[in-house]
Amino acid sequence: MTVGPVQRDEATAAFFDGTARGEFLLRRCPDCGTFLSPQAEQCPEGGTDLEWVPASGLGRVVTWSVVHGRGVFPTVVAAVVELDEGPWWWTQVTGPGLPDDLAGLRVRVDFARYEDNEAVPVFRPMD
Amino acid sequence: MEPASAGPAHLRPVIAGLGMTDLGKVYGRGTTWFAAEAVRRAAADAGLGLSDIDGLLVSSGVTRGPGLSLQRALDLRDLRLLSEMNSFGSTAGAMVQYAAMAVRAGMADVVACVFADAPLREGRSTGAAYGGAPAKGWVGLLGAGGAGGATTMYAMAARRHMMTYGTTSEQLGHVAVAQRAWAAMNPLAQMRTPISLEDHQSSRWVAEPFHLLDCCLVSNGGIAVIVTSAGRAASLARPPVHVLGWGQAHPGRFLRRDEDFGLASGAARSGPAALAMAGVSLDDIDVFELYDCYTYTVMITLEDYGLCGKGEGGALVSSGLLGPEGKLKVNTGGGQLSSYYMWGMTPLSEAVIQARGEAGERQVDRHELVLVSGNGGVLDHHSTLILGGTSR
Ligand SMILES: [Zn+2]
Repeated sequence: MTVGPVQRDEATAAFFDGTARGEFLLRRCPDCGTFLSPQAEQCPEGGTDLEWVPASGLGRVVTWSVVHGRGVFPTVVAAVVELDEGPWWWTQVTGPGLPDDLAGLRVRVDFARYEDNEAVPVFRPMD
Repeated sequence: MEPASAGPAHLRPVIAGLGMTDLGKVYGRGTTWFAAEAVRRAAADAGLGLSDIDGLLVSSGVTRGPGLSLQRALDLRDLRLLSEMNSFGSTAGAMVQYAAMAVRAGMADVVACVFADAPLREGRSTGAAYGGAPAKGWVGLLGAGGAGGATTMYAMAARRHMMTYGTTSEQLGHVAVAQRAWAAMNPLAQMRTPISLEDHQSSRWVAEPFHLLDCCLVSNGGIAVIVTSAGRAASLARPPVHVLGWGQAHPGRFLRRDEDFGLASGAARSGPAALAMAGVSLDDIDVFELYDCYTYTVMITLEDYGLCGKGEGGALVSSGLLGPEGKLKVNTGGGQLSSYYMWGMTPLSEAVIQARGEAGERQVDRHELVLVSGNGGVLDHHSTLILGGTSR
């Protein structure tokens, strides 16, 4: 797997605290219980006082692309993963046993970091 | 929206000038020079002096442009309208819309709308030209995770269209082949050697399902247009190109279950709005100049404008309708894929050239109505213009 360097800012601090613990955090609206992406600031139904909750870390591939590497950049498989809670996550799918057709592939979150940067979620096929 | 023909005839908006710098691998110039030179050329083309300009709208690509300081670079005094604008690839169309509204309202008489970009450096790869985003926060995380970058995201959008509707890479290849055939007749185009479907299929993978020949060029340069009133244009140098209708659409997506990512663009709304404003129908359009960051973008834009049913875009573009010999006149200069990549100014500039009847060897016979699209983000922002050619 290959992830790049990323540093936290104010908006991502809580999320990266989660990845450091091995948790993929989502936002949830306390009013209606809707799960939202980590970047969300507001629930579609209007709630703004969102809480952080750990996701199951399970999902399925919505769409993907084999991004061919050149020079120092390795080839990676980029994907949109739909988490079981509903939100989509733009990520990479990695690991042995990747099929040619990733449509609907069940995946589980894992974490990787570049040197001493923040831990980044990646996804692997479920056994 | 009110029809564009509403209000006093002398205040109806027109494009009266087009200015283009050298485009492509043009080194040793920065974005401020490209922007200023494009405005100078557009004003000269219209038969105006710089001092006639009383409105200026500025837009930049990936390289930080001059912004509001372009006023000083051009020594423009007492402007009545000045802004830096950005809705990514839909900006050029949007600038013309705001300029047209300002002219109609009598807020400004002569508005220059300019885009400039200079991502290419001598000795650096074109891929590197678009790299180097700051690795911080959510944007940094997207890149670090391996799913950042426009090509990767558009590739995933195209894949979803393929999975859902059966669209194929070969079908998209027809767009590349057709546009290269147009570019062969465009002296301004960077890539003029004809290509075959086999060339498309055997060009290297960039991000599957995109081959190299599915992807736009990268160019340095600047392009500007002058928007003024029909009354003012009557005494100017060039035949006016009427701005007959316009629309925008910014769908907004929550990026979660059941989203239409990859399956729909804002063209479905901004197209009908612009056509209704112009009081014309899709069948009346003679020429389509479409934003074509990727072959796929042309396909889905045609689909969402309603030239075929939802999901039938692949069949449409591979049916022989495109290209100089085809019935559907689309991206007649070669587009961003083969001519030059100036974001929304690529389709807009070719639209003005065609509407004026000045496209030489590639001139389309009927050019009374030209539709121009702009597309920004990953199908997040859309603009449509309906332009009226010289015979109107
Ligand atoms: Zn809620």
